[in-house]
Amino acid sequence: MFEIVDLQKIYRMGDVEVRALDGVTLDIAKGEFLGIMGASGSGKTTLLHMLGLLDEPSSGRIVIDGTDIAKLTDYERTMFRLYKLGYVFQDYALVPDLTVMENVSLPAMLRKDRDDEQIKRDSYHILQQIGLCDRRDHLPRELSGGQQQRVSIARAMVNKPDILFADEPCANLDSENSKMVLELFREINEEMKQTIVMVSHEDWHKDYFNRIVRLKDGKVVSDGFNGKAEKAG
Amino acid sequence: MGKKELKVAFLLALRSLQRGSRSSVVLTVLIIAMCFTNMVFLPGLFNGIGQSITTQVVDYEVGNVLVSPKSGDQYVTDLDATLDLINGMPGVERATPHLSKGATLKYRQRVLGVSVRAISPNDEKYVSPLYTKMVAGSYLGDGDTGEVIIGKPVAGDATIKEEDEFQPSLGGVRVGDSITIEYGNGYTKDYRVKGIYSTGWSSADNTVYVTMSDMELVEGKPLDYADYITVKAKPGYSEKFIKDELQQYGVSQKVQTTADLLSKVMGQALQSFAIINMVSLIVGIIITTVVLFIVITIKTLNSRRQIGILKAIGVDKEVIMHNYGFQVIIMAVMGIFFGVILTALIAVYLAANPIVTPEWSATLYLTPLDYITNSLILFLASVVAGYVPAYQVSREDIQSAMRA
Ligand SMILES: Nc1ncnc2c1ncn2[C@@H]1O[C@H](COP(=O)(O)OP(=O)(O)OP(=O)(O)O)[C@@H](O)[C@H]1O
Ligand SMILES: [Mg+2]
Repeated sequence: MFEIVDLQKIYRMGDVEVRALDGVTLDIAKGEFLGIMGASGSGKTTLLHMLGLLDEPSSGRIVIDGTDIAKLTDYERTMFRLYKLGYVFQDYALVPDLTVMENVSLPAMLRKDRDDEQIKRDSYHILQQIGLCDRRDHLPRELSGGQQQRVSIARAMVNKPDILFADEPCANLDSENSKMVLELFREINEEMKQTIVMVSHEDWHKDYFNRIVRLKDGKVVSDGFNGKAEKAG
Repeated sequence: MGKKELKVAFLLALRSLQRGSRSSVVLTVLIIAMCFTNMVFLPGLFNGIGQSITTQVVDYEVGNVLVSPKSGDQYVTDLDATLDLINGMPGVERATPHLSKGATLKYRQRVLGVSVRAISPNDEKYVSPLYTKMVAGSYLGDGDTGEVIIGKPVAGDATIKEEDEFQPSLGGVRVGDSITIEYGNGYTKDYRVKGIYSTGWSSADNTVYVTMSDMELVEGKPLDYADYITVKAKPGYSEKFIKDELQQYGVSQKVQTTADLLSKVMGQALQSFAIINMVSLIVGIIITTVVLFIVITIKTLNSRRQIGILKAIGVDKEVIMHNYGFQVIIMAVMGIFFGVILTALIAVYLAANPIVTPEWSATLYLTPLDYITNSLILFLASVVAGYVPAYQVSREDIQSAMRA
């Protein structure tokens, strides 16, 4: 469903040229839980932002379900993100003035194919799944970091996206909360067949992924399914 | 921009105002309310002053229509016939003559130069509320001779020493006292003070009124002339109508409406008022615009990353812009609302306790149109001030916004 061909991202700062991505070619299939790993500065976030239509590549092609992303207008890209993609960020990034319920409902409220009844049902359902239903009228600042991150996962999932992106979702959490969040991702992946692309540089996270792409200096240095090629790479 | 988008934008705006910084919302609303008050207060006060001067000029000086000597003449002549003619016309409540003479008043050691104005007391009642303004004694009757009524400032106050007086007076004349009046032509006579009045209109209060019969004795001949005739219109008849009618039916004297007279005198004053009004309007708009611009700019700068995230998860930039736009609209509406209430309260207070000076007493004179136009102007200024930074921040690209 995802096809990335020879993707490049070059940042120019004065005379210096930074090749954040240097010819990445990748396919992502439905139902995968893909981990992007690599050292700091290796280009993980840059790649994720390209895939998530949050940034435009310097060259190369991204095709999603047969749609060439380069041909979309700004508004079409926004709608593409709203209808097909979900995001979880390192710092949760919830709207501080909205309750848990309102935060989760927000992306659904903008969709033309959802009525109030369905939005309520979907939000309620996803909150039940992450186990924070009883906190639905609380504000984000009244929750712990781990709880906030779970709410942000619920917000990303409420529209049942084709693909879920997460950039170091556990970076601000202790190992206990990290485990909880990772378990949640695994559950979503296995039970709902949700495609997930997650960036991480914590080695122990790799147990949760079923495929791992390793980056170094903007290049893919290894790509394989967990427990097999990965070890060879 | 669909209904759903506007709904989400409104929800975001409402929640931000409800759950964000309360004090900043309250202060912003207060500033808008103050700017609104500032915009309508001075013009309203000036209008009030203008109204009060107009009323007093009508009441104590010229009535609705003034008939004065044609150019070259000293007096309106053929008085009785002219009065009969005017009084017979439709729409005329009453016409009444005034004849003033310069004189010197003497009372004990005090000497005071004033003008003595002769009136027909009963007819005057239809034209001027003077008879309702007696503070001591009583009003003149038509046949009275040897009696005067005098203004309170002329009568003075016995408890105030001469050198401490605000303006020279007779030093405490009371009803029943006798004062001596020496006219310009040498005629001198003692009068009994029948009453003392206070109108609040300075030129009327610095006058002494006698009857036309008394003035005949002074002039030494029957009075078939006057300085001018004041004409009061019946309710429902315009000044213009009376004026046209008088001119059409053979009143050969100069005929002017109060508006004619005031437009010359007040034109100058109104022009200065207009400049002050304009300045207070512009200052109000600028302060509101700048404050809202700063408030929204700070809000957007503080939430740049937040805005980047919202755009990332698929919230359209129009929704982001209207979110801040709605915040401004809500605060502007609340501010204007409080401004309207505040000015209405001030107007009620001033109606009960007018600002009084020797020349005029003023209340806030505000029409619904004043409220509506000022509200609209302020509202539009607020919307512009809010949407400019909202537009700018909503156009920022996701990458730079998220990195903020
Ligand atoms: N806006 C930018 N301007 C210039 N250089 C940039 C910009 N964004 C990223 N880079 C550079 O691109 C390279 C890749 O950055 P990226 O953020 O993708 O790394 P990362 O793998 O996510 O690192 P980390 O694990 O620290 O988050 C880095 O060398 C970085 O300095
Ligand atoms: Mg990163």
